[in-house]
Amino acid sequence: MKEFRTHLLVCAGTGCVAAGSYEIKKALEKEILKRKLDDEVRVIATGCNGFCERGPIVVVQPDGIFYQRLKPKDIPQLVEEHLLKGRPVKNLMYVPPAGEKPVPKMMDIGFFSHQRLIVLKNRGRIDPENIDEYIAFEGYQALEKSLTEMNPDDIIKEVKDAGLRGRGGAGFPTGLKWELCRRTPGDGKYVVCNADEGDPGAFMDRSILEADPHAVLEGMIIGARAIGATKGFIYVRTEYPLALQRIRIAIEQAEKYGLLGKDILGTGFDFSIEVKRGAGAFVSGEETSLLAAIEGKIGIPKQRPPYPVQRGLWRKPTNINNVETWANVPHIILRGAKWYSEIGTEGSKGTKIFSLVGKINNTGLVEVPMGITMKDIIYEIGGGIPDSKQIKAVQTGGPSGGCIPKNMLDLPIDYESLKKAGSMMGSGGMIVMDEDTCMVDVAKYFMNFLRDESCGKCLSCREGTQRIWEILERITKGKGTQADIGLLQELAQATKDASMCGLGQTAANPVLSTLNYFMDEYEAHIKYKKCPAAVCKSIISSPCQHTCPIETEAPQYIAYIAHGEFEKAYDIILKDNPLLNVCARVCHHPCETKCRAGQGGKPIAIRELKRAAIEYSNRKRRSKAKEPTGAKVAIIGSGPSGLMAAHALAHKGYAPTIFEALPVAGGMLAVGIPEYRLPAKALEEDIKRVLNAGVEIKTEQKLGRDLTLKKLFKQGYKAVYIAIGAHKSIKLGIPNEETSGVIPAMRFLTDVSLGKKCSIGSRVGIIGGGNSAVDAARVANRLPGVTEVTIIYRRTRHEMPAYAEEIESALEEGIDIKFLTAPTEVILKDGRVTGVRCTKMQLGAVDKSGRRRPIPIKDSEFIVELGTLISAISEQPDLSFLGYEHDFEISGWNTFVVENESLATNVKGVFAGGDAIRGPSSVIEAMADGKRAAETIDQYLKNTPIELQYKVTRPSVYVEPVKLTVAETLEATRQEPRKTKPAARRKKFTEVDLGLSRSAAIKEAKRCLRCDLEVKEEDEKEQS
Amino acid sequence: MISFNLNGLEVQTEDGSTILEACRFYGIEIPTLCYNEGLKPYGGCRLCLVEIGTGENSKLVSSCTYPVEEGLNVRTNTRRVISARKMMIELLVSISPQSKTIQDLASKYHVTRVRFPVRNEDCVLCGLCVRMCKEQMQSGAIGFTERGYKKKIVTPFNIRSEQCRLCGGCIYICPACQMRCQGPDAPTDLCSGCLSLEPSCIEAHDDYQCWMGTTGDCGRCEGRPDQKTQDAKRSTQNAKK
Repeated sequence: MKEFRTHLLVCAGTGCVAAGSYEIKKALEKEILKRKLDDEVRVIATGCNGFCERGPIVVVQPDGIFYQRLKPKDIPQLVEEHLLKGRPVKNLMYVPPAGEKPVPKMMDIGFFSHQRLIVLKNRGRIDPENIDEYIAFEGYQALEKSLTEMNPDDIIKEVKDAGLRGRGGAGFPTGLKWELCRRTPGDGKYVVCNADEGDPGAFMDRSILEADPHAVLEGMIIGARAIGATKGFIYVRTEYPLALQRIRIAIEQAEKYGLLGKDILGTGFDFSIEVKRGAGAFVSGEETSLLAAIEGKIGIPKQRPPYPVQRGLWRKPTNINNVETWANVPHIILRGAKWYSEIGTEGSKGTKIFSLVGKINNTGLVEVPMGITMKDIIYEIGGGIPDSKQIKAVQTGGPSGGCIPKNMLDLPIDYESLKKAGSMMGSGGMIVMDEDTCMVDVAKYFMNFLRDESCGKCLSCREGTQRIWEILERITKGKGTQADIGLLQELAQATKDASMCGLGQTAANPVLSTLNYFMDEYEAHIKYKKCPAAVCKSIISSPCQHTCPIETEAPQYIAYIAHGEFEKAYDIILKDNPLLNVCARVCHHPCETKCRAGQGGKPIAIRELKRAAIEYSNRKRRSKAKEPTGAKVAIIGSGPSGLMAAHALAHKGYAPTIFEALPVAGGMLAVGIPEYRLPAKALEEDIKRVLNAGVEIKTEQKLGRDLTLKKLFKQGYKAVYIAIGAHKSIKLGIPNEETSGVIPAMRFLTDVSLGKKCSIGSRVGIIGGGNSAVDAARVANRLPGVTEVTIIYRRTRHEMPAYAEEIESALEEGIDIKFLTAPTEVILKDGRVTGVRCTKMQLGAVDKSGRRRPIPIKDSEFIVELGTLISAISEQPDLSFLGYEHDFEISGWNTFVVENESLATNVKGVFAGGDAIRGPSSVIEAMADGKRAAETIDQYLKNTPIELQYKVTRPSVYVEPVKLTVAETLEATRQEPRKTKPAARRKKFTEVDLGLSRSAAIKEAKRCLRCDLEVKEEDEKEQS
Repeated sequence: MISFNLNGLEVQTEDGSTILEACRFYGIEIPTLCYNEGLKPYGGCRLCLVEIGTGENSKLVSSCTYPVEEGLNVRTNTRRVISARKMMIELLVSISPQSKTIQDLASKYHVTRVRFPVRNEDCVLCGLCVRMCKEQMQSGAIGFTERGYKKKIVTPFNIRSEQCRLCGGCIYICPACQMRCQGPDAPTDLCSGCLSLEPSCIEAHDDYQCWMGTTGDCGRCEGRPDQKTQDAKRSTQNAKK
């Protein structure tokens, strides 16, 4: 045999072939010939490596270097650098999602290093179309052993002792099944391999057949010998052409080698295998249905008993197992039951192959030992969730499996625990879902699949799946009722109970498990007409409008801007929002996170467009001041929540008075958000607008100091809305922090914006990674005399909760951020802060919040020298005004507990909202609370039962879409706002973000996909 | 003879009989729709559900298809059986409320409301006609096509099969294509209308014999309203569907 110095293993699984691996192979062969390396280097097409997302893949052996996402044009470089000069090519290697450095070796990549390969050990290693390569890696040794050294009972005992259970999903002990089949009297028994893998998103059986078909054949021959069968069938879906081709080649080769057919290996044992193609019915994966299909009948399940092992194919005892089960058998026979049973858990032995798909960085096929936790699969192998989104659930077991919520990711994976969690192993599909997945929509999707794939024999399954789908469709259209939940539960249970086969009995699982774990989402759809993930089209109209807590009609004003009609755009914004200057600058734009243009591209710059609409409209009208009339309502706090509530109440005909503790109005907007982000002039304009609506404001009126709730009611205020915000910084909890050199961030920011003198020395450190930390850092950096600002944060930039754009600006301005660093002690000298002792951290396992938990590194302490330390880890409402005795219900986070919908506290006539109930949160959410509180206070004062009306989201006006030229469509990229240069920002509080130019705004607005139009068509269709 | 436990009683039955047969032998009532003594059990309507097994392994099975096994523990009236059965009847009514058989089942088993939008279909896919045609008439003129919610009964390639001898056995056995009981005219009247109901197929198709291909053979057209108005009515009905 000829020897080669290097082997290039080109992945030729279906995924890589689709990505173009055959072209890569051709290019490699051509290039190698051109460089005259064909005597030294050999190119081999192998089975699927499993890392399909990174295809086409080439592995260079014996070095083990892993190249991914190759293109034919990369090949000359690869051959020249690696094969001729011996320098692996870095830019073609895999880079982990959180890291920056490429990982050269295959076995160092997390995706591979955490797997345990038994069934898939030959994947990406041998040429599946060459039996010699299989034999070279211990192939057919187990067969030889079982035929020459073991009798059938020995084989069955070995498989039983190994604890192998059916990998098709139900997990019936394989050895026991074989024994039952063997004991059933009769001749002409059959063995069948079920390769009708119909689950959406599952492809492990296909991969085994493509990568290692001989392992399946070997398993079947051993099984046939144990059972006493002489004929076998492999039922493969027609949708798997490559698998069909490779298994046929394998059978042909095995027959040629005398491993199949008459007198196998001269032992007198006869066994032949025939391939049957399935015609694409999901239900044919059910065993009785599959047997009917092999017989040439319609694939419809039959009543069991009699079980196939008693009466199966053509009424003969038949043993049917799944591809993966068969592929496990040679390994058990060769290495023994003891070796095998050491892998896995008590009840579930060995490994299991999962196809990891969905919202996950490393999509692909993985083989892991049973008992591994779901978290390990998702974060260690799968590399976590892309785009720093939050994981929501994992769906296992194919369409009739269930969803497992994120708080149960510690679940060890085996047959029993998954079943207990309301899901099932199934064939091994694992779909990861993130926050942008709507669970009702997921249930609907699977029910749609199942109502199509039910064979239709049982009334319960045929009508059950159809009716469940109808109800879900109704709910996702916003037309569901509370009674639908009960009906769904009842119907799902009946479908589960009354159906005959596995399909019907599990068909209700998608609904039952989502009802069980995600009832809140069903309620959101039914009661609040909200789709939290902004998926259900008929409810959301457009994701941006739906996601906005005050439902600002973004698509409408964007469309007006695209037409150049800035006045109309301005009117649309003003309709829902009196604080438009504020929102146009500091809103954290949740709308952009759900923007459809952001899926696979960059979202529309919605906030910047809002600012453009204000800036380029001629209608900066000063509204006429109105005198307050009607019943008096007191509002405590003039932050966004208080202003919004006052504005809305004034419009409803009340006379709201805002009491503000500070000398300036605006609350956090005035003192928490620095001038360079929100200039005082812009804020003033908005506050003026609110006051003009008929609102009175009294500054320097602190609750507890200047007024009490009792007095307010006595003075004739009929209701009180508490919107005091969260202004108290939480303590660090480290030694020596009680000193004047350690300043809470909120006090620091307030003092600076009120113009008080702050002497903080030249070196300042900030502890924390949130927005107030970054704000404090940037403000400190602007103060005279400050030369060095350091942010100390215990995780990495990836996990930092501050807005990405703020972090970017901070870095631009020369602020040093020490990641993975935690303070342990403030160092004092003569009562003055001289530094802070820190310890280095490293990221450990993922915690419940889906972030990696920082763990201190031993003996890594070091000192950061500084004069002032600002603590900015989090804030809480300052509730000192309540005194020791009060009637309010207060949460563990020092926030007011309110009734979810009405925002009423447990004290009559007192409502609360904003950061006072949420803890540190966003401006726009505080505003939404204010708007809602105005609504409920109105109902409360009218003495009507507090009941909010919820409607599906719809725009108020129709705006004609703009016509785009081809050139405009092609060059559509996100327009970024102009910014003050970092050098010009030094020591100045001038605004940093300068907004879009008029033409850039129009250009950006034209990028909008106008999601609202789609629903308009739908609505019109329904009306007609 | 094999012995098994039926609602707490130790009873015996012949080898090879189904649970339904054994139950009926002992006088226990189990509702059925797709079951007919002269035909092979099908197990499609899921009305004859009984609960077997114990503890966590207990499950519902269709008694018409499940063979009695030695020592089997059968319960015919558990809460689980009753609620599943009622749901099945509710689903049946929602598909085909005009069927007298189904309405009778509903009133007998106390199904008092239908929470699904009614579809008014003539077929509940019980498969009686298909089995009648094949097993009793030794033909095979009709069969199932499609699957899931699209499943329906058709002639091969949607044309009249040469196998069909126009025996009418399919319509004879159909539980769904009957006219809805309109009730007696006055409270004191005897009705007996149910006894002389004619299949609603006559409404839906020209005449049931005609539907099978030969117009006028059955003589039912005589004395009926003008054919033209019939056609017009039908076409509007079809349009609605």
